[in-house]
Amino acid sequence: MTVWDSLLYDLFPLIWSGMITGCLYALGALGLVMIFKCSKVVNFSHGNVAGLTAFLVYGLSSGVLMSLSWGAAVLVAMLAAVAIAFLIYSIISPVVFESDLTSTIATLGFGLIAQGVTLLMFGADIVALDLPIPRFAFSVLGLFVTGYDLTVLAVAIVTIGALFIVIDYTKLGIAFRAISENPFAAEVCGLNLRSVHYFAWITAAILGVIGALLIVPTTFLSVTTVATFMLQAFAAAVIGGFASLPGALVGGVLIGILMNLFTFYVSPEYSSTFLLGVILVALNIFPNGILQKVGGSRV
Amino acid sequence: MSDQVSHMPSPPSALSRLSGLATPGVTAVVLVTLLLFLPALLGGSWTFTLGLCFANSIGVLAVSLLVRYGGEVSIGHTFFTALGAYSVGVLDTRYGISLWASVPLALVLGVAFGLLFAWPSRNLHGIYLAVTTLALALAVPEMINNFDGLTGGYEGLYVATPFLPGVDMGAQRYYVALAMLVLVCFAVARLRLSRQGMALLLAKTHPAAADAFGTRRVWARISVMGISGGVGALCGATLAFSGSTVSPGGFTFWQAIFLLVGSVVSFYGLSLPRVLIGGAFVTLVPQLLSASGAWIPVLYGLALLGMILIGHYMPRIRKALNRNRETG
Repeated sequence: MTVWDSLLYDLFPLIWSGMITGCLYALGALGLVMIFKCSKVVNFSHGNVAGLTAFLVYGLSSGVLMSLSWGAAVLVAMLAAVAIAFLIYSIISPVVFESDLTSTIATLGFGLIAQGVTLLMFGADIVALDLPIPRFAFSVLGLFVTGYDLTVLAVAIVTIGALFIVIDYTKLGIAFRAISENPFAAEVCGLNLRSVHYFAWITAAILGVIGALLIVPTTFLSVTTVATFMLQAFAAAVIGGFASLPGALVGGVLIGILMNLFTFYVSPEYSSTFLLGVILVALNIFPNGILQKVGGSRV
Repeated sequence: MSDQVSHMPSPPSALSRLSGLATPGVTAVVLVTLLLFLPALLGGSWTFTLGLCFANSIGVLAVSLLVRYGGEVSIGHTFFTALGAYSVGVLDTRYGISLWASVPLALVLGVAFGLLFAWPSRNLHGIYLAVTTLALALAVPEMINNFDGLTGGYEGLYVATPFLPGVDMGAQRYYVALAMLVLVCFAVARLRLSRQGMALLLAKTHPAAADAFGTRRVWARISVMGISGGVGALCGATLAFSGSTVSPGGFTFWQAIFLLVGSVVSFYGLSLPRVLIGGAFVTLVPQLLSASGAWIPVLYGLALLGMILIGHYMPRIRKALNRNRETG
């Protein structure tokens, strides 16, 4: 009886809310994987740039910089994110074709700059940034479902669905897959590597902004919130194999649920250590990602 | 043949003869002699800061070692520095044991954990190690604060037991760091000439050739991380002794990235002058900019990018200039 009760009242809600946040980790992870798949760069600036744009939304809508409506602020921040992604890729693109290691280190530099700019513009204060969504809640089968949950789910499904449709059915998506599969052959066939890389970097930036805006209401917004959120996205990408978009999606949801269970049943103080453990174990068990069979190594 | 003749060097000028004298060994000896006498000229606070510079230089060397020998990047070397620093701090404050015992312990722990963390990604692309170290860097402050029974939590530990009893502590903090740095640099220089070092480099640049000669790629990759982890732990041990305090503030995620920035700023150099530049950058920039904290990440980011772009464009520019000179 008590076991069943605790399952009903703890476990299922934990899995549900873990799945909701997991969708957001997946959004972050999808961006990382898109960039890695085609340009072989791990974008360590992903979290800090997304954090900066979330702060821009706050600054533009709260009156710190301007007092626009929320929608207009998001639009401006999206444009800023696209511009930043464009700028970052433009600066490092000569290095990208030479050494993926050096360009990965270069993204850390952009991460540092984004962090510093956030500090310079908005200070180290903690601010609240909410979503303009109707507040309602109901309960189904013991699950407590809020308007926030449904919004996140809807946005995630629409965004990820749109992304997969673009990648599966459009010419751009086919070019993206061709370049991820074999850049040299794709270039021989007349594809422009750079423009497809731009597509990946800009899409990733937009996914990052969406993820950041949706995660912030659950906590608060500070210089480090979004960067920490992105560690979960990195873990999700690793579980998915770092080169698989569906893998990133599954990894994100899995990380969301695991993190929720761990913080509830074990300890909230060791969450980063737990993630480290998850990454190490996942690398040992699924070196090629959770959706692929364990087979030959990929060095 | 004719190609070689046309590139015969012109008769050496006085300057180039002088720079020809400055082999790496000679430069290092001159530099060390200078550093040996520097405390006599400088005040106590500068001597202290220089000690920290030496300690951080070892950390920069650890990161550069991983890049040069393994072709991999770590943004979590604070784990190893923390490991070394807390080995020294805990043995000192709890048991009163000085560096004689705690430095070897730090080295062993650093190597062991380096191997441990490299193992899961041994067969995979280098980015997996980078992501692992990212998680490592974020987990370090958490671990330190939660094991506060051992580590002293936020307050940290104070290292006071002298290395050589009876000698002035301020001088010890400087000279132990210098000696450690010189020893590590010397060991790394010897590694470059050793069979093991050659095998590691071969496994990095020509994996197939290394396989043919019997050096397994997996072995090479995890042992590079082991060596780098050990050097990182030595950096931490030196940092603890020369900085006299060990607290979580020294092992944040940003500190880990700063070590990498130091490594990039020194162009991943492994020689004594190069790592000193990296260490000085890591130590001095935060001190000079302490009044305007938000500019520190911006400056580090710009320095990182600047060095990478210089590293990318410099050879091209030089080549273009040479071509102009030859045709002109």
